[in-house]
Amino acid sequence: MRRFFWLLVALLGLALAQKEVRISGWGGTDVAIVNGLLKEVVQPKLDKEGIRVVYQPIEGDYTQWLFNALSAGTAPDLFYVDIFWSESLFATGRVEPLDAYFSRQEVSEFLPNLIQAFTYKGKLYGIPKDFNTLALQFNTDLFDEAGVPYPNQQDTWETFEAKLRQVQAKLKDVAGLCLVADFARFGAFAFATGWKPFDEKGHTVLDQNFRRAFEWYTGLVQRGAARFAQDLGEGWTGGCFGGEKAATALEGAWIAGFLRDKAPNLRYRTTFLPLDPVTKKRGNFVYTVSWSLNAASKDKQAAVKVLKALTSPEAQQWVLERGLAIPSRRALANNPYFQRPGKEPELNRIVFAGSGAQGGNVYPFKFLGYGGDWMRPINEALQAVITGQKSVDQALKDAQAALDRLTGRR
Amino acid sequence: MRLKMRTMEGLYALLLLLPFLFTLGVFFLYAFLRAFYFSFTDYNLFSSPRWIGLANYLRLFQDPLFLTALKHTLAYSAIVTALQTFFALLLAVALNRPLRGVTFFRTLYYLPSVVSTAAASLLLLWLFQRTGLVNQALSLFLARLPHLGTLLALFLVFQGAQLAWARHRKEAASFWDPASATLSFLGAFLGVYALALLGLVRPLEVRVEIPWLPTRATFLGLPYPLWAIILMNTYTTIPTFMVLFLAGLKGIPRTLYEAAALDGAGPWVTFSRITVPLLRPVLFLVVTMGLIGTLQLFDQVLFVGGSGGAPLESTITLAYYVYGNVFPSGAQPRVGLASAAALVLAGLTLLIVLLQRRFGVSERGWS
Repeated sequence: MRRFFWLLVALLGLALAQKEVRISGWGGTDVAIVNGLLKEVVQPKLDKEGIRVVYQPIEGDYTQWLFNALSAGTAPDLFYVDIFWSESLFATGRVEPLDAYFSRQEVSEFLPNLIQAFTYKGKLYGIPKDFNTLALQFNTDLFDEAGVPYPNQQDTWETFEAKLRQVQAKLKDVAGLCLVADFARFGAFAFATGWKPFDEKGHTVLDQNFRRAFEWYTGLVQRGAARFAQDLGEGWTGGCFGGEKAATALEGAWIAGFLRDKAPNLRYRTTFLPLDPVTKKRGNFVYTVSWSLNAASKDKQAAVKVLKALTSPEAQQWVLERGLAIPSRRALANNPYFQRPGKEPELNRIVFAGSGAQGGNVYPFKFLGYGGDWMRPINEALQAVITGQKSVDQALKDAQAALDRLTGRR
Repeated sequence: MRLKMRTMEGLYALLLLLPFLFTLGVFFLYAFLRAFYFSFTDYNLFSSPRWIGLANYLRLFQDPLFLTALKHTLAYSAIVTALQTFFALLLAVALNRPLRGVTFFRTLYYLPSVVSTAAASLLLLWLFQRTGLVNQALSLFLARLPHLGTLLALFLVFQGAQLAWARHRKEAASFWDPASATLSFLGAFLGVYALALLGLVRPLEVRVEIPWLPTRATFLGLPYPLWAIILMNTYTTIPTFMVLFLAGLKGIPRTLYEAAALDGAGPWVTFSRITVPLLRPVLFLVVTMGLIGTLQLFDQVLFVGGSGGAPLESTITLAYYVYGNVFPSGAQPRVGLASAAALVLAGLTLLIVLLQRRFGVSERGWS
């Protein structure tokens, strides 16, 4: 009896000595990834330190949940921060700056533009977990059937469009591309012209460069190179691509998982987005997510250890090899995984390279904390022109007026 | 000391009511008072609220989006409440008759209300796509107009001929005689078929491609997508109210109808003088619930705006405006502004229900 009692005391002591770090991210496919990562890579490392990681994935609207939890003081120690709403969150002061916990050397091992994306007012607020950029996927069977050469990285908007037109003309029921009225796709082309979302005063000016990209993009439908996604019953270019309703798609590496489920036998390849014929440059977005630290965390040192384990080279290698996400460490650029033959390593390699020099004018997918309010006028202008409800002049004028109201430019 | 019977009773009542009073206090009263306070501050969930007086309310009425939301909410509420009350009553009266298999029809007509709003919204997206069923049906109708026109013309010719023949033989005949109409229709149908085979009647080249959802186009001052939501919601809420009306109809004594029939009252008189006045308590319930429900339209706006690609200005309602400001995509929560909008919505709902009670259908029944 007495022995049993002491055993219990010892166990209790062990439990108390163990530190618990709570982490959260979104649900869906991420749950399996993070659970696997924790079990195989992260937890074994932390066992020695006496740290136990408790993972709480959030199904449903993660952003709402996180903002509420941070406001109520119930947020976990570590959580995902999407670049899209990162600035609004960092501005609240509820996220701990990481400069004190990471050495300059440690930070420099991550891709510099991702580090830049999570730097707000000179401080680093998140370690990029992974990232994505846009790439051009094309269905090789459809291009072969139409007898049209594949898109390649020398294509300009014009040569690319000519290929799309040929495919659409030859294969009557297949669109060259299915077009979405979304800045998250169109923006890449606007960046290619050298246009910037904000000037130094923080205002948005839809100038001649923007207009050039806008006219080209919205005109694709009329010129017989693309169809409007909604007319094909789809909400994103990947949906059209997976259903073979369109011969090309403009998506990131996330499309791989979708295609694996929806169309496992679909033969596709990937290349870079086409070049602006005038500037001879391309543009791209970086969509990225960080692990960030709760400023109200009870044991920040333990949490930082978990953060380091989650973004360690071993963890990123594990994720990469399963073809799950594009890791954020510079050293992984030369990883043998990217050189493997096959549609998915190729897709991942191009998406990885899309964030660097080959991507051209690359901007993180964030808009000074205005978020969706900033994109809405542009999205509506795109939609109105694509569906033929407004002229380009009228649509841009309306969008400019709405953006002026938002950013305080009169 | 022994408590009096009445005091004991009161205590028991209080005890039993306590759980409800608690939830009411916490989730309604406390939440309401906090929202009321926040509506005068610039609260954003994080920094402590700063008093800014009526600034939020002033900002609301300068925000074009809020004014659009207000207009949509009022129009939507009026139209849907009127439509659903009228059709629910009509359907209930029809299903209250001693028909063969009436239980089957009641079940059938009740089905739409079982569908969740999410599923109904998906159906709506599917129906109103540019290549959806609505446009296809319209295309088919317009393309076959020559056939339909010929069918009608042939029908009239045949029917006229039959009538003339009957008159010639001095027989009593009516244009609306079902037997001869069936014959004429058959003849006209075969005639059109033959003409189509000969290539004399050809379908038109029509393809209707109206963008119902991703559009800002309006009809009678309201955007197309909102009309689509109006149609859908009327369709899915009619059954619930129909059941209420059916219950009300069961409570009307048969003897009244029998007496009216003896006095020679027609169907319209019985309906307007007996059915409607005796249904007033139910009518009040239906109209009030309809108004409150429609003023809070939210989920369809979310779905039609999200997956349907409808522009925000074409579908936004007050409830969505509140939500959109508490959780703006990618920006900091604007709790103060949202609270002010929520209070405007609450006040509006109260005002409309009171006005309805005062000037519309009241719950006082026939006495």
